[in-house]
Amino acid sequence: MLSDIVERFMVSGSGDAEATLHLVRWLKDELKAGNRQVVVEIFPRLLIPGLDYTTAMSLHRILKQLRAGGGRAPERRTRIAVLGSATTHQLVDFLDLYLHAGRVEVELYEADYGTITQEFLDPTSGLRRFAPHFVITCTTWRDLKSRPLLTDDSEAVGRKVEAEVAAWSALWRVARDEFNCQFIQSNFVAPPWRSLGNLDVQHPAGFSRFVSLVNRALADQAPAGVIIQDVDRLAAEAGRWHWSDERFYHQAKLPCAPEYLAEYAYNLAALILAQLGTARKCLVLDLDNTLWGGVIGDDGLGGIRLGQGDPESEAFSSFQSYVKTLGERGVMLAVCSKNNPEIAREVFEKHPDMVLRLDDISCFIANWDDKPGNLKRIAAELNIGLNALVFFDDNPAERSIVRQLLPEVAVPEVPDDPSYRIRALERYRYFEAVVISTEDLKRKEYYRANSVRQALESSAASLDDFLRSLEMQARIDPILTVNLERTVQLINRSNQFNLTTRRYTSAEIQKLMSSAHWVVRTVSLRDRFGDNGLINVILARIEGDSLVIDTWLMSCRVLRRGVEALVTNHLAHVAAERGLARMVGEYIPTPKNDLVREHYPRLGFRQLESDPAGRTLWELRLDEAWRPLTHFIKEVVVDEHTAV
Amino acid sequence: MSTLQSDLQDVFRRVFDDDALTITGATSAADIDGWDSMAHIDLIIAIEKQFGVKFAGGEIAALGRRGQTVGDMLQLLESKMGRIGG
Repeated sequence: MLSDIVERFMVSGSGDAEATLHLVRWLKDELKAGNRQVVVEIFPRLLIPGLDYTTAMSLHRILKQLRAGGGRAPERRTRIAVLGSATTHQLVDFLDLYLHAGRVEVELYEADYGTITQEFLDPTSGLRRFAPHFVITCTTWRDLKSRPLLTDDSEAVGRKVEAEVAAWSALWRVARDEFNCQFIQSNFVAPPWRSLGNLDVQHPAGFSRFVSLVNRALADQAPAGVIIQDVDRLAAEAGRWHWSDERFYHQAKLPCAPEYLAEYAYNLAALILAQLGTARKCLVLDLDNTLWGGVIGDDGLGGIRLGQGDPESEAFSSFQSYVKTLGERGVMLAVCSKNNPEIAREVFEKHPDMVLRLDDISCFIANWDDKPGNLKRIAAELNIGLNALVFFDDNPAERSIVRQLLPEVAVPEVPDDPSYRIRALERYRYFEAVVISTEDLKRKEYYRANSVRQALESSAASLDDFLRSLEMQARIDPILTVNLERTVQLINRSNQFNLTTRRYTSAEIQKLMSSAHWVVRTVSLRDRFGDNGLINVILARIEGDSLVIDTWLMSCRVLRRGVEALVTNHLAHVAAERGLARMVGEYIPTPKNDLVREHYPRLGFRQLESDPAGRTLWELRLDEAWRPLTHFIKEVVVDEHTAV
Repeated sequence: MSTLQSDLQDVFRRVFDDDALTITGATSAADIDGWDSMAHIDLIIAIEKQFGVKFAGGEIAALGRRGQTVGDMLQLLESKMGRIGG
């Protein structure tokens, strides 16, 4: 059970100084009393946005104490270098803290103040030795070197903008080509003052105009592997005068006012967690008093408050519109409501002011069962983990029970006033997107098509008949620039159908794409119900007489459709073409990939070895006895399909 | 000990992570482990938040100079809070 102190802190959403003080004291007391495990378990959940500076410092000290005692096994590890022309010490600590909240343990490298370029270019720099997965820049407007003069015309200013971007892009290239790492480029915050007043935004030499042009050019020119951190946006959220508390720049070269450092770090952590594939995937919504005002079972279709006419109804409508935009960009939407299912669905079908419709909802559960149980059902039906869910419910009792029983589910506080709900949800930055791929845009359709397929499956006489009736067509491609982002997304997100769970950055994959020793493939699948998009990734390397499968992963939405057989045949063909005698497959168990424990034996591989940790190695000899596996997928040959 | 001094002591305890820490008017950076320039900023931030005051840039620097005491800090704090109250 959560103690009252913890619950009070969570409900206050870090906004209650006294609750926060009590929490820190309680954590220390528990540690002193030897209840380390209690603190280890609860700690990541306490790291919510908006922590004040002193509290974040205290919590970071507690984190260090927890680590010294062994801590908790992280889900992911990464290496991050922070390079700044401002003091980054506090930012680095807070980043460490918030990444811990995302169950990522990070090794951090903090460069000396003001040595960004040297760190990149010096062949003996500490950064180079550190070999980061991510490089983060922490800069201020003072780093902009080629500033516009009042006598400059637009063209001259344009050249200065390009000069700024060129200086950064030189570092981007080093990061990609030499460090193989992702580059998180912070954009610039203009000073809060404007010497030209309103004209500052219009005059070619206006400095705030110049800063926004540089920001725009950085965003436009950033290649794959370079991510823009929108610090300018954080400053706007805080209010520019508040953000730029000059006293702390003059005194300590802090990049922003101390009270916003935690927010700065939280934003960075959200970005990095999304890159690592641990962003949340699904928003689970309550209905009554969450999507509309009133209770449908009591008030009826005509009685609930939604649509134009009164402020409260409008607030519910605008919340729905916001949620719909999340759905459109690929966040899965689910309903979890204590309601009569027919009555609940009827609102979506018949109420003229509903913005969300049934086809926006990937999983709709309305019944009288408890919500924790229903959330588990939603996760199972959508084939995602509980840690991919965000539960949004106006009822504090429901939030409390979900927090108690399902610690993996994110449960934001929901303010009573529906006008503030978008803000309440946004502040957690749950759904940071790496890229919006075409797959994201189509996700809703996949899940809908899947339920039609499931219906067909139950009516087909045999599995073979069913598979044949799907009229599947697959396209096998090398990894190409056009599918690189989606490939990287899958590599970093897939947990269940993933034989080795090795993660790679976009820069690393680009290296493999051009290597003669690697066979890298993607598979896209369509069937009579629609296009499933890119659903399978293979990274295999040639080693002696073997094709060694380093990475094999597949989207769970095409499970048991024969893709595994298709891929095996394809790889066997590639191996034979190159005169290789066998294929070698590897399985590394994780808490999430039990699904594929028997993957290789099912495909006719023979076990070579296993170790005590459960890792197994398999072999398929490509001699005369081997026969291609049966499946019902037609391979479509594409003209531009070229072997690597 | 005045209420103000006792509240300030609580702030010191949080910042320096030491629940047994005591301060007197004569306490200076030399008396507290870890009271370096970085911790000085942490302290100023915590004091501003706790008491709802703002120090001028020059005051932040002055309080951080060698030989400055908790007594100097209290005096400055009192004058600021007095200004707010009166």
